[in-house]
Amino acid sequence: MALNRRQFLIGAGGLAAAATTMGLSACAPGAPSGGSQGGGEQGGKTALALAWWGNPTRNKNTEALIQAFQQASPNITLNGQPGDFASYWDKLATQTAGGQAPDIIQMDMAYISEYGNRGALLDLGKNGADTSKFVEGTVESGKINDQLVGVNAGINTAVIVANPKIFEKAKMDMPDDKTWTWDQLSDVAAEVAKKAGIPFGLVYLFGGDPMFGAYLRQNGKELFTEKDVGFEPADAQAWFDLMMKFQKAGGIGTPQQISEEGSPGGGKPIDQSAIVLGRGAMQYQNSNQLEALNAASGESLKLLRAPSLAGKATERKAWYKASMLWSASAKTKNPEAAVAWINWFANTKEAVDIDKAERGIPPNAELQEYIKPKLSPAQQQVAKFIVDIKPELASTPIAPPPGGGKLAEIMFRYESDVLFGKASTAEAAQKFVDEVKSNLQV
Amino acid sequence: MSAISELSTVRRVKAKSPEEKRLRAKEAARDNKAGYLFLLPWLIGLVLIVAGPLIASLYLSFTNYSLIQAPRWIGLENYARMLDDPRLHQSLKVTFIYVIVGVPLQLIAALAIAMLLNEGMKGLAFYRSVFYLPSMLGASVAIALIWRQMFESDGLVNQVLRVFGIPATTSWIADPKYALWTIILLHIWTFGSPMVIFLAGLRQIPGMYYEAASVDGASHWAQFRKITLPLLSPIIFFNLVLQIINAFQAFTQAFVVSNGTGGPSDSTLFYTVYLYQRGFGQFQMGYAAAMAWLLVAIIAAFTAINFFFSKYWVFYGD
Amino acid sequence: MATPLETTARLTGPAPQEAIHHGPTWRDRVRSVIKHIVLIAASLIMIYPLLWMVASSLRPTEIIFRTPGLWLNDLYIQNYTEGWYALSYPFGQYIINSFIVVVGAIAGNLFACTLAAYAFARLKFRLRGLWFSIMLLTIMLPFHVVIVPQYIIFNKLGFVNTFVPLILPKFLATDAFFVFLMVQFIRGIPRELDEAARIDGCGHWKIFSRVMLPLMGPAIATTAIFTFIWTWSDFFSPLIYLTEPYAYTVPVALRSFLSATEGSNWGPMFAMSVVTLIPLFLVFLFGQRFLVRGIATTGGK
Repeated sequence: MALNRRQFLIGAGGLAAAATTMGLSACAPGAPSGGSQGGGEQGGKTALALAWWGNPTRNKNTEALIQAFQQASPNITLNGQPGDFASYWDKLATQTAGGQAPDIIQMDMAYISEYGNRGALLDLGKNGADTSKFVEGTVESGKINDQLVGVNAGINTAVIVANPKIFEKAKMDMPDDKTWTWDQLSDVAAEVAKKAGIPFGLVYLFGGDPMFGAYLRQNGKELFTEKDVGFEPADAQAWFDLMMKFQKAGGIGTPQQISEEGSPGGGKPIDQSAIVLGRGAMQYQNSNQLEALNAASGESLKLLRAPSLAGKATERKAWYKASMLWSASAKTKNPEAAVAWINWFANTKEAVDIDKAERGIPPNAELQEYIKPKLSPAQQQVAKFIVDIKPELASTPIAPPPGGGKLAEIMFRYESDVLFGKASTAEAAQKFVDEVKSNLQV
Repeated sequence: MSAISELSTVRRVKAKSPEEKRLRAKEAARDNKAGYLFLLPWLIGLVLIVAGPLIASLYLSFTNYSLIQAPRWIGLENYARMLDDPRLHQSLKVTFIYVIVGVPLQLIAALAIAMLLNEGMKGLAFYRSVFYLPSMLGASVAIALIWRQMFESDGLVNQVLRVFGIPATTSWIADPKYALWTIILLHIWTFGSPMVIFLAGLRQIPGMYYEAASVDGASHWAQFRKITLPLLSPIIFFNLVLQIINAFQAFTQAFVVSNGTGGPSDSTLFYTVYLYQRGFGQFQMGYAAAMAWLLVAIIAAFTAINFFFSKYWVFYGD
Repeated sequence: MATPLETTARLTGPAPQEAIHHGPTWRDRVRSVIKHIVLIAASLIMIYPLLWMVASSLRPTEIIFRTPGLWLNDLYIQNYTEGWYALSYPFGQYIINSFIVVVGAIAGNLFACTLAAYAFARLKFRLRGLWFSIMLLTIMLPFHVVIVPQYIIFNKLGFVNTFVPLILPKFLATDAFFVFLMVQFIRGIPRELDEAARIDGCGHWKIFSRVMLPLMGPAIATTAIFTFIWTWSDFFSPLIYLTEPYAYTVPVALRSFLSATEGSNWGPMFAMSVVTLIPLFLVFLFGQRFLVRGIATTGGK
């Protein structure tokens, strides 16, 4: 079928359109040539890809950090890849599958063993990472199989945030968090909810794994051992029974309300959480979220400790959590440069001046002291709290083994089943443990 | 019979002479060549972009693949596990309810509004845009978030109900009994896409038929049954097939409204949400691939049934 | 039932003046008013969430979720100025990126899908049924599973962090939805028209470009509009393929405003969502006219 002139023109037009859009698209504006993913040479410099999740504040901070670092180490260029938490992990997984993981990766405790145990992360210790000045207990969380694959980028710890105004309204004193037990927490929650006329005395306590972890540790168990779940169905059942006790006393709301709030960090966005909207007196959070909570609620909230079995805070087996860590890809072509960034971030005054504890209190003890006066009042409160609880610490729990990162989600689902009467605490506990075990990929 | 259909009849008479046979063979060959030429871009795309991933995903379904490490062959183990997986069964149940309830309701709404808008009226362009707007954003995160908000215990829906004197305090999205229905409602709300397609199809039906039928004294309902439905049937069929396929694959709305959990208590655990949880959340991409192919089988079955029955009610001009 | 052409013949036969025109009766008027009321009520319900989003974009972030109503006390325009500059690049950058991708996608789909649809609908070729089934199969596979192998392919070709993976597939008719849509439209066009053109000596290309394409107006408009809207809102593919911020498209950029754990900037996010809605709305408004311009003829010469 010979093409006549008209057909030819149309065909050529189509191809031209295709070619133009290809051309336009192949060079995305301002791109370094060849669509680099870092890890290459650019005019004599080493270029690294640096990925993080954040929010507009952290994004701006990190960009400033990148500029400062590039000035301090002119041979290294960093190409930033910001994202938001939820989609960050999908992207990272896909990039890793394609062999294109970013050189420097902001990492979370829930995922570090997924990547670390499968050989995707660089052994930072072997490549010169410097954690010598770190506060005790802050380095272990980044170790998988005795290799340091993540450097703590900010300390936080599990806290119960409380709103003094609501306690005032209920004509109650702030509870003494150094001596309260779990049962007393339930009483306080029920009382304040009733007297202040709000739905929640306490929110999120049962939905997150740190509080469950705290409870388990006080009972001599752990969330995880290196290759297995660290507790029995009976322990889970005790936790679920405790939850039902709280619920029946009226301190944590109705099943629907609990379900609506969701699990901490996976339910309502923080600026719509109960304590922010004045519907809750106490709320479980990570300590580094105090500032955001204060800003969203317009209040000055207080940090309270988790309860203990015996009513003695020094026996509550708290720990320093890494709110996030810095890792590097095992396949990076520039391990020294990647570690250079990590060391710079963790150990220089310049870096902490810019980041200002937005990612958590600096684990480097010297920098902690140094930055304290420069922090906002809320952050100073957090920093003080972190130091204050030192006598209450026990050993740092290990990272969940691969497949264990979703324990909290699974637990919340079974808790919903119990709350809505779909399962007894015994059944739910057994199925919960079974499901967590079946997900472990060791 | 008109001249042109006579012409068609002539052509349908079997070729008898060897000349005619050669002619037809030549035409068939030309058709064949033309067919492949027209199909060329699609074929290239199939080979380059589609076939590879398609086959890869099938292969992956027989492996244990964490995305971070290379896949490891495990044979039929994924498929065997699927038989015992209560969450999988739950996700099938949820998705089936969504498809069987949501698709017909959405299509009926779409057709009804399309017909209303087809009548030509003042403000047509305005109404059409208004009814299409939700669909434009339906897949967006912002709208799904707003939708979730609306159905919370103090959300808009309850506030409106209270205005009417109903003491509404239920949290629709937090109760396993109701949560799925809010998502079905969201699906119906975004009827704009099939509506636009219906409208385009309705526009292709020449107005003269309706006029002729009116002149003949046919009622609106009879016109609908005898003119609209048959002539629109290819489009109805298209919308039906594709909305079913889409509904089985529904992801974003359920994901955002349930915060990615499929909750409360897995009452909104759509099949693709569960697939996503397994594949990306739990680094079990091999299992996710097996789930994907099961879904393909289910959708293919539904589609085949659709195609089979289409010969009884779909009327093509050719 | 009467074939289209027979009905035409009947209409052109008897004298047109036999049709009786009346002015609108009161019954027609009432019907019209009721219809408008129903439509307006339905419209309100339909777009309330959108109106609320627009209203929220003019409120400071802190009060947004405490105010379900539409009434605005002040116009908090800062959300728009803040939102425009809040991310790594002025928001206009992301809008431009989205436009590039979308225009490419539309060109690709219109080019490739019409060709493929004509082949499936009108041409007899060997294995047609098989290819058609495979095409339908491609729609049925959930994208989460296909995306990883696809990413690996594009990565090996070096196209990550470009727009190529977002546009090239459209030129290769991978949007089987539109192929199928057009197939259905074409099959609704009487074959007699093809025959007539054939008698005139047209080959397939002429039939395609001179007879089919003009008659497919609504299908083409639908394809263009839907491609625009779906590509504009596509999140996952740009997320995976575009690694660096200057290349982000609008949905990815909008996500940066949200942070579940540290407090989101709802005000600016809604403001930018509204801004990005405007092109969608305009495209639809403008494109509607082509949907309307359907065929009024019955194919007589």
